[in-house]
Amino acid sequence: MGWEVSESCVDSLLTEMVSMYCNRLYANKPELAASRIDAIGYQVGHQLSERYTMERPRFTDHLDAIKFICKDFWSELFKKQIDNLKTNHRGTFVLQDNRFRWVSRMSLDPSENGDLSQENAEAAENKAAQEPNMHLHFSCGVIKGALHNLGIACAVSADPSHLPACSFVVRIKP
Amino acid sequence: MIVCVAVVGHQNNPLYIQSFTDADDSLKLRHIVHCSLDVVDERVNNPKKSGPTLNETFLGLLYPTENYKVYGYLTNTKVKFILVTTDLDVKDADVRNFFRRFHAAYVDAISNPFHEPGKKITSKTFAERVSTIVKSFGMSSTR
Repeated sequence: MGWEVSESCVDSLLTEMVSMYCNRLYANKPELAASRIDAIGYQVGHQLSERYTMERPRFTDHLDAIKFICKDFWSELFKKQIDNLKTNHRGTFVLQDNRFRWVSRMSLDPSENGDLSQENAEAAENKAAQEPNMHLHFSCGVIKGALHNLGIACAVSADPSHLPACSFVVRIKP
Repeated sequence: MIVCVAVVGHQNNPLYIQSFTDADDSLKLRHIVHCSLDVVDERVNNPKKSGPTLNETFLGLLYPTENYKVYGYLTNTKVKFILVTTDLDVKDADVRNFFRRFHAAYVDAISNPFHEPGKKITSKTFAERVSTIVKSFGMSSTR
């Protein structure tokens, strides 16, 4: 039983969800908004991992599960694989996607309002930097939920410094 | 004839248990399902005994009791499906097929946004799909 939805619907849904949590529900508390968005992503990742591991044999170790996330899981979600995977062999993995789909259409230019004073420019830049961060909380939640469902407790954070390329740092809890 | 199917979560919490015979047996069936969880754990944690089938989802015949055969299936997310049947000549392929369809129904039930992970599955659609799969299992093996 498969239903299909156009990708722009998913993009709009995510954008609206982030905007609702940041601007209306938790307007002055970005940490709470971030953790709620992360929790939504967690449940989505949890359910998706159940679906995408259906036909596969079981994973033998953490590296197998991370490779599953990089290849199959990412292909199902974004139609491409993770471009680069690095590890320090001590429980930290860095997944790098050179063109992360959900932020690829975001405008990254903070100076949209013509000439601003120095103070306003900084505030505008901070606000513009926050928006992709909030979207990335959702993606981190998705990865965390998927890994938790596979039995791997971990913490996931995103590094948005070179958008649209995005790195996710996964730290496995011992 | 299948008498009971059960879905057990990764902390050995029951998520769905359904018996297809009279209610008198249901306690005994629950007991059988409970005992089979130990066998599943043993199979998974003893790689030397299992040999090449360590990573398969289908665990095969867990143990035969006096009247029943118990089959197990372990998913990647440590969710166990247990099947109790009274058939004496069940084909392996039939059971695998059953578990494949059951897994598909389970995944669809889990993807319901109103379902809370870890709680029991209360979806009627899932119950109907399971009874359809159970009925068609009975038919395909009475050739």
